[in-house]
Amino acid sequence: MVKAARPTRSDYYRALADNLPAEGLVVTSLGNASYLWAALHHAPENFYLEDAMGLALPLALGLAVAQPRRPVIVVEGDGALLMHMGALVTVGAINPKNLTVLLIQNGVHAASGGQALTNAELDLARLARAAGMARADNIDRPDALAARLRASTARDGAEFLALATEPDIEVVKPPVALDPVVTKSRFMAAIGAPRYVPMLFGGGRLEGT
Amino acid sequence: MNKVSGARADAHRPSEVLNTLKRLGFGAVVSVPDGWLGEMLVRIEQEPTMRLVRATHEEEALAIACGIRLGGVRTALLVQNAGVLSMGAGMVSLAQRYQFPLLMLVSYRGTPEDPVFYHVPKGRATEPVIEGLGLRYTRTDRERAIGPQVEQAATYAEEASCPFALLLSREDIQW
Repeated sequence: MVKAARPTRSDYYRALADNLPAEGLVVTSLGNASYLWAALHHAPENFYLEDAMGLALPLALGLAVAQPRRPVIVVEGDGALLMHMGALVTVGAINPKNLTVLLIQNGVHAASGGQALTNAELDLARLARAAGMARADNIDRPDALAARLRASTARDGAEFLALATEPDIEVVKPPVALDPVVTKSRFMAAIGAPRYVPMLFGGGRLEGT
Repeated sequence: MNKVSGARADAHRPSEVLNTLKRLGFGAVVSVPDGWLGEMLVRIEQEPTMRLVRATHEEEALAIACGIRLGGVRTALLVQNAGVLSMGAGMVSLAQRYQFPLLMLVSYRGTPEDPVFYHVPKGRATEPVIEGLGLRYTRTDRERAIGPQVEQAATYAEEASCPFALLLSREDIQW
């Protein structure tokens, strides 16, 4: 839930950077979700979305399905979640135990200038639990996020943490060009994704299949 | 199941579609169902080498498919053409901008041979919208075997690093 004196996105991102799980893959939503993460912790294992609002969560779900042995962390916004609320249901139905959803709940459409959300007061953790994610909580302190990221208890499903956050309207300038194809190629090389091997007259395959 | 008039008698085309996906190493299918696709999805769900993800909306399905392909698994999207109409933003800003190779198998409702009249408005809009999106596509040829057509569409998607939509008739996919 959004309350007064909320931490900033930077506060949470520092907790994330300091407690990133080994072999972790990070998918970030549009705007400062991507730009600030690139500024704080640029790595080949980051997949930065620009635009494509509401699609970071379902993309990360697909990644978690394809890479079940690697932790996948997605940073999504509350406005983006509202745009594709159905994705929450799909995440809950599949419930991959290697997926952690960090939901920046700042109550506004920050990436487009701070316009009000349709509903800024939703209990998002409750929504996530209703969708099938038992490990869903509202969090309002970076140290609480750090503790959850460090927790080594065995998981039987996805984790959903709604982070009460102060809006950040000023656009962060990322330190690297977020060229989409470079981002994708760098990421796939970093995780060792199999290459497509063409055949002269069709019937090409991904390596190893 | 009613017999579909006009279908080729030499092969069961839906089986050929599924067999081709398996042969080409497709490890995942993401779908929002349609009347013609329903039984195909059940069959896919029973395949030990394929993972079926049932999404709530076609733009969401598109993003899930991009994520699976990002993770190194060959992925097909099975949707109705209504879904192509509703996934436009994600198609251009995610799948095309990031150049994800995706095979899209699209049930083409609202053509003159579709007996369900209310699909007609979607049928009329489908190809103009696809062209407006810059999405590469083709309609299946019912005089040719369906397997090679699926393979060519899948190959195009990979070779060109983009989504490719194969617009399917009832006899191609309804089990």
